[in-house]
Amino acid sequence: MIFPKFFINKTRYGAVDNMLMSNQNYTYEMLRSELTWVVGEDYVKTDDSDKLGHSIDYYWVPELWHDRGQKGTVPDFIVHPGSAREVSEILKLANNYGIPVIPWGGGSGSQGGALPIYGGIIMDMKRMNKVLSIDPVSMTATVEVGINTQHLEWAVQKAGYSTMHFPASIACATLGGFIAHRGTGVLSTKYGKMEDMIMSMEVVTPTGEIINTLPVPRHASGPDLTQLFLGSEGTLGVVTKATMKIHPIPESRKFHAFLFKNMHEAMAAGAKIMTSRLHPCVIRLYDEPETAKLIKRVLGIDKQGAYLVFGFDGPEKMVDLEMEQASTIAMEQKPEDLGSEMGEAWWEHRYKFFYPPYMFQLPQAFGTLDTVATFSNIENVYWAMKNTVKENFPQATFIGHFSHWYEWGCMLYARFIIDNPPQDPHEAIALYNKIWDMAIRAAIKEGGVINEHHGVGLKLGRMMKDLYGPAFKILQDIKQVLDPNNIMNPGKMGFKGAR
Amino acid sequence: MNIDKYLDVIKACRFCFMCRHLAAVGNVTFKESDTPRGRALLLDKVRMDSKNMKNQDYIKTIYEAELSASCRYHCVNHYDEVGLILGARQDIVESGNAPQNIRTVADDLKKVEFTVEGTGDVLYYIDGYTKNHQPEIASAFLQLAGNCKTISGGDCGKALNVLGFAEDASIVNEKFKKAVKASCSSTLVTSCPASYDALKNDFPIDGINVMHSSEYLLSLGSINKPSKSINVYCIDSDYLKNYNNLTAPRELLKSAGYKLDMFGTNLEESYAAGEGAVIYDEICPELMKKLSDRVFELADNPEKDLIITFSPYTKFALKKSKPDFNAISIEEAILKAKGN
Ligand SMILES: Cc1cc2nc3c(=O)[nH]c(=O)nc-3n(C[C@H](O)[C@H](O)[C@H](O)COP(=O)(O)OP(=O)(O)OC[C@H]3O[C@@H](n4cnc5c(N)ncnc54)[C@H](O)[C@@H]3O)c2cc1C
Ligand code: SF4
Repeated sequence: MIFPKFFINKTRYGAVDNMLMSNQNYTYEMLRSELTWVVGEDYVKTDDSDKLGHSIDYYWVPELWHDRGQKGTVPDFIVHPGSAREVSEILKLANNYGIPVIPWGGGSGSQGGALPIYGGIIMDMKRMNKVLSIDPVSMTATVEVGINTQHLEWAVQKAGYSTMHFPASIACATLGGFIAHRGTGVLSTKYGKMEDMIMSMEVVTPTGEIINTLPVPRHASGPDLTQLFLGSEGTLGVVTKATMKIHPIPESRKFHAFLFKNMHEAMAAGAKIMTSRLHPCVIRLYDEPETAKLIKRVLGIDKQGAYLVFGFDGPEKMVDLEMEQASTIAMEQKPEDLGSEMGEAWWEHRYKFFYPPYMFQLPQAFGTLDTVATFSNIENVYWAMKNTVKENFPQATFIGHFSHWYEWGCMLYARFIIDNPPQDPHEAIALYNKIWDMAIRAAIKEGGVINEHHGVGLKLGRMMKDLYGPAFKILQDIKQVLDPNNIMNPGKMGFKGAR
Repeated sequence: MNIDKYLDVIKACRFCFMCRHLAAVGNVTFKESDTPRGRALLLDKVRMDSKNMKNQDYIKTIYEAELSASCRYHCVNHYDEVGLILGARQDIVESGNAPQNIRTVADDLKKVEFTVEGTGDVLYYIDGYTKNHQPEIASAFLQLAGNCKTISGGDCGKALNVLGFAEDASIVNEKFKKAVKASCSSTLVTSCPASYDALKNDFPIDGINVMHSSEYLLSLGSINKPSKSINVYCIDSDYLKNYNNLTAPRELLKSAGYKLDMFGTNLEESYAAGEGAVIYDEICPELMKKLSDRVFELADNPEKDLIITFSPYTKFALKKSKPDFNAISIEEAILKAKGN
């Protein structure tokens, strides 16, 4: 077994310096006993199997590290708390011992946010998976946030409603993970992102206080704490409970697809639909290379151009009316009308893109350059990133689609793919990081914001200063005040590491 | 190594999260390693360095898999993660690394003595969970089917196969085959989905038509429906649904006038309490209990609802955990519908 690296040469944690070096060390057993006392024997894991599982999330770098036979950084303990009180006890212990705590939901995050980069305690939240209540009058559900979002959706559907949160990772992520990353689903254009879906939350602060944010999301009682913790990626505390909106199952949901001559014309159509203040539940626009690559592979449409699909849901009469209006707007650009069938097919296969063999996978190197910008800037952001990748990394392919649309702009889900990255893992990671560094900085220059829904994590932490400028200090100060011992997920989101 | 045959599965599953909601064991242990991704990751480590085959934690994880095949069924490309785990178990056994508790169970499974009794054209195989713990299942079937021969005397090889003792499984199955041949029947029926799968797919017998009891009862024709339909919940069998896509159980129950409500919240998860692993109660009793507890948690009204389990194993497991759980087998349900 491999044991803690975290405590080597550490000075900030005073009393526990070098004490938890390995499972041969009695301090390790002291902490294990204390954790066991809090959550029970069944819920403290130290076996090699589970440590391996918790050493790799959906970030390409640890995947590559594993693929190249390198030893990954594993946690010292994996604990599964069953209540906010247990979370609080664990955090107090961690403060006492000076050991990092890394919340883990489903491990499906693509930014390395849940990785135990300094060892420590992985706080796997999946045991907190209950739907606590459904309020049919206000249409809200209160749930423990370790729940798998597909299980949540099934439970809410059984009660006759829907969360309307349909991300491609619905089956693998937890609600807490989505809260931590301000995640989003396919129907976000109408139903919003996580920050629009959540009413209020219970949070355990790094020092172990159990707090609740205000019960409703619209108020004038000072800055909103719900929004502070949303997107904090486990660096400011552990979210344990949330009340979220639920929705009636719509009478009708319809889709329609078009093939535009190019992305620019398709973008003009999409933007006009949004600025006309129609309310599609989905607009998705694929650039020409992604249409040729993925739309062909998954939907079988073998044509040149930019594929765009939109959908509306609600009472059928309204759906038909909005559909007609949106189609009229689209037709102004003279696209090929692929009809409703090709739109429905997209909806039906919306998750298929993410299963092997459709999804990119090693040996390929790939990354999602998730960026959001206004309609005035979004095409410039696209071209800035694309040109940067093309000019500097000729071995890379650049494709993209625009997934989540707002009244003012949209999200660009761009990807770079390298079929044969270097064998040497260090070289491969250096190349990978260089693409990110250059492409993201090019996007920021054009008014792009990294990132719209994947979060920052380990992957993009170094860009936070570029993105925020002097304002980042405010986030750092908040972190310092809430987490004086820096136990919560150190080294993520651009905050300082554990050493 | 046997796992080398499943390289495509390892490569696909090791970084894929898409079916983790269906990882039945993972859903009760919350362990990342109890998911197809987790298991593929550790078998990838074994593939890279066979010394890892000796890792006791890895071995334990591989034997804790419930083999429900929900993931394979759900998977867009149907990657055979069950095949991978079975391959790994075979590797563990062949390399002499099988844990003592597994070897003890396997030794027991090798002690078979098949006997055929009765008269009739059809041969009814009575599996261990029916014979030793739930004779009411066989009794209901025999009342419904009329004159049948019966064969019993142990597991037909499926359990050994699933534990990774492939050679021993074949030896046991040869004995079974011999007894079946000697019975001169051409139709072999069983209520046990695992045995059905074994006899249909792992060890087919030339000239013998293998049927699940629900298929056979359905083939007997119409049942007088009761005047008022009865609402019941069904707990599917992993082997019938995910391995064989068999719709006969539901068709039979509907034809007998039952109105089938969805158990739990969805039709994708396995609620079979470890049926895929055949003798899960013997090798992982605590996990069987956890899987059963999840079933009780998901039941709408566990005190009142009538639940029909499609596998004798599942009925046994659930009742072992909660003796007053209101579960009956398909055969008992049909007998009940007939007013007997
Ligand atoms: C195939 C695939 C498709 C995807 N599609 C989408 C998509 O459509 N939309 C989308 O938004 N994302 C998508 N993602 C990314 C990923 O699913 C999301 O980022 C998700 O929010 C991660 O949730 P998780 O539960 O897996 O969190 P993890 O990966 O376990 O953790 C992510 C971060 O959240 C923190 N965290 C987890 N739980 C808590 C908690 N209770 N309290 C505080 N912090 C916590 C962790 O410390 C970490 O920093 C996809 C991922 C995959 C693998
Ligand atoms: S079985 Fe399919 S869905 Fe499940 S992990 Fe493997 S590739 Fe992914």
